[in-house]
Amino acid sequence: MINKKAKFIAGSVLIVAAIAYLISAGISTTSQYFFTVDELLAQKASYTGAGLKVKGTVVDGSIVRDPNDYLKVNFSIVEKTSNLKVVYEGVTPDMFAGGREVVVEGTLTNDGVFHANTLLTSCPSKYEAEKEAGKTHPGTLPGYESKEPALETPKVSSKTTI
Amino acid sequence: MNDFGEFALLVALATALYGCVSYVMAVRGNRVDLYLSADKTPLIVWACVAIASAALWRAFLTDDFSLQYVWAYSNREMGTFYKIASFWGGQKGSLLFWTLLLTTYMSVAYLQNRKKNVALMPAAMTVMLVIVVFFLFLLNFSTNPFERIPLPPEDGRGLNPLLQNYWMVIHPPTLYLGYVGFTVPFAFAIAALITKNLDDGWIRLTRKWTLMAWFFLCMGNLFGAAWAYVELGWGGYWAWDPVENAAFMPLLVATAYLHSVMIQEKKDMMKVWNMSLILLTFVMTIFGTFITRSGLIQSVHTFDEATLGYYFLGFLGVVIAICTGLILKRLPLLKSKNELDSFLSRESSFLFNNLLLLGIGFATFWGTIFPIISEAVRGVKITVGPPFYNQVNVPIGLALLALIGIGPLIAWRRATLSNLKKNFLKPLAAALLFGAALFAFVPLGGRADILAYVAFVLCVFVMGCIVSEFYKGAAARMDLHEESGLGALGALTWRNKRRYGGYVVHVGVVLIFAGIAGSQAYGTHDQKHLKKGESLQIRDYTVTYERLLAMEETSVKSRVIAQVGVYKNGRRIWTGQPEKEFYKGQNQPVSEVDVLSSWREDVYLILADFTEDEAATLKVYINPMVSWIWTGGWIIAFGTVVCMWPDRLEERRRVMRQKKQEAAFSPAQE
Repeated sequence: MINKKAKFIAGSVLIVAAIAYLISAGISTTSQYFFTVDELLAQKASYTGAGLKVKGTVVDGSIVRDPNDYLKVNFSIVEKTSNLKVVYEGVTPDMFAGGREVVVEGTLTNDGVFHANTLLTSCPSKYEAEKEAGKTHPGTLPGYESKEPALETPKVSSKTTI
Repeated sequence: MNDFGEFALLVALATALYGCVSYVMAVRGNRVDLYLSADKTPLIVWACVAIASAALWRAFLTDDFSLQYVWAYSNREMGTFYKIASFWGGQKGSLLFWTLLLTTYMSVAYLQNRKKNVALMPAAMTVMLVIVVFFLFLLNFSTNPFERIPLPPEDGRGLNPLLQNYWMVIHPPTLYLGYVGFTVPFAFAIAALITKNLDDGWIRLTRKWTLMAWFFLCMGNLFGAAWAYVELGWGGYWAWDPVENAAFMPLLVATAYLHSVMIQEKKDMMKVWNMSLILLTFVMTIFGTFITRSGLIQSVHTFDEATLGYYFLGFLGVVIAICTGLILKRLPLLKSKNELDSFLSRESSFLFNNLLLLGIGFATFWGTIFPIISEAVRGVKITVGPPFYNQVNVPIGLALLALIGIGPLIAWRRATLSNLKKNFLKPLAAALLFGAALFAFVPLGGRADILAYVAFVLCVFVMGCIVSEFYKGAAARMDLHEESGLGALGALTWRNKRRYGGYVVHVGVVLIFAGIAGSQAYGTHDQKHLKKGESLQIRDYTVTYERLLAMEETSVKSRVIAQVGVYKNGRRIWTGQPEKEFYKGQNQPVSEVDVLSSWREDVYLILADFTEDEAATLKVYINPMVSWIWTGGWIIAFGTVVCMWPDRLEERRRVMRQKKQEAAFSPAQE
């Protein structure tokens, strides 16, 4: 009887160990460090080449698109003090613009340029209409009129900054 | 009316509190009068919450913007449909909605069981009332949906346009029905622990409840995936977002529970395990709510107010402490009478299926909270994304898939070689033949290709096992009752709803596995900034961007539509119209994708961007076999309904058992 029990415990432990191994291997091969621009640039050297996720604000007027390839974009993100150059190729999200908070995923090269393969605008929350609308607090009067600059009628021309 | 609603919430809280206290005192002091009075509280609480909900709905439907909540999530232009759905569009309303469902479930469980299960009822009702008290406390003192605006504005802000589609009307309620549904089995499990009624009575009593909650949770997850796919427009259906994980984890634990209770019912084993699983399922639903409402983990779904998260964290802590304490205290009573005999037995295949399901659950949990843990331990925030979940969960999932085939066929206790041969030879042969044939057609270069290949072979194996089960049963009936093939199949399923309904669910699961494997391994996408008339080539499709149309649909909504011609082998097969919608007052446009779906693959078009010269960036996905996932979902739904359908034979057995039980402990009140 004891033998049987031991057998099953051993079998279960084996499965659990296999799963634990998968998890730890998964973490070590796929994880990304998550920094803000300042945090990253304070310790730049140690993270070149590693998988990184960086949060910062897009510098106004820094967005430059390659005239030959619309999908190649250069821009800078900034926090308080530091400024990081980002190279990205791909579709930019609808909310991507100067002054927006973004999260980029990719790697940092030796020359200090960040090569992003993913570009996310921060908080694309489905439910978070409130934040977007300029933090009107429930207690105070809802400044409905002064809420946010209404989007102009989207004639085909009105949208993109080049 | 708003005052009335607010007042009703307060009365509900007071009544629920009174109910908890008086149930406990009645049982302790053996006081019949107090018991009878306590026994009225569940329905009164339900009525009060229903009144409050009706008041909030009235405010939405009559555009009463003096309520901050209505102002924030509705406006005059929205259709009635969305005004009704806006009820659960934000934090406060969704909590009230949750409470409404919870009290409704509580009342139904109360009406269903108050005469039949006198031994468990007081404790179960007390547990549910305590949970209700927690939610009512939040509604009264932290997130009151009836908060006023002193000078009511003219118009409301409107529901976030991303939410303005029919999925918003069905997805959240479905998910909530599932989440909240697990409260009932949880309450009865705790009641069984408290009152020491630790046979399988509480399991049978709550079987339908568990199945129903599982059904809704499963559908909720699938609806969420479908919503993401057709509405959010990033080309996929599942992103391993923390909130998706939050709904996925209880589903996994509940699935494990649904399977392992069978072992307890048949073999009187795994009692501690089952008890732990149902408690864990409930804990996971609260944890999910905590993730969604705390903003602690970055996610696309987070609600705004962070403080609420801490209430849930506290509640979570209390629940875990009580559950663990109770189980430890009753451990001697939960001893199993039987034990596992052989690895090659149905019992152990169920045990392994449980371990694998929990393994996926734990990997998902670990990935979800890893940023917090790494920050606490190492001081650096480390995140994991979809690659982590895929790398870990796919191998475990494949092992699980194999067990779906093996579990139902393998013999109880100890399988012999001849038994294995008899059951598995044909399905195995079918799978190997299919594997050999498939070998010629699919690429096997990368890891994803190989995993998908394995998945397909396993799918065929499992289907073979299920078909052989149906065949064996039907053939036996045909001999015995001289029925036609189809008639025998129907009668077979109808007379053993639980068993064959379960197999039908398995068929759906296999289709979902196949769909995921196909779309993950063989999908591709491309994007290009195109001038009018230019095309991009993807697989054997030519996608031509033809023109851009702008139109003002209503005073608040305008649309920009791209006309896209899709050609296959030179023949035009489809005109796609992906578009962007712009809502006045919302600075984020909403992408509306267009999908040409077939059982083979979906052509999925996104209008990603457009410029002044009317050039447009198109993103094109080829997603193979995605429709298999949705088909699998409907089959699961059908199978679960078969399982849940009232079974007279089952009912008769139950009545017999009840009689025995009543003879054993005659109720105190008579």
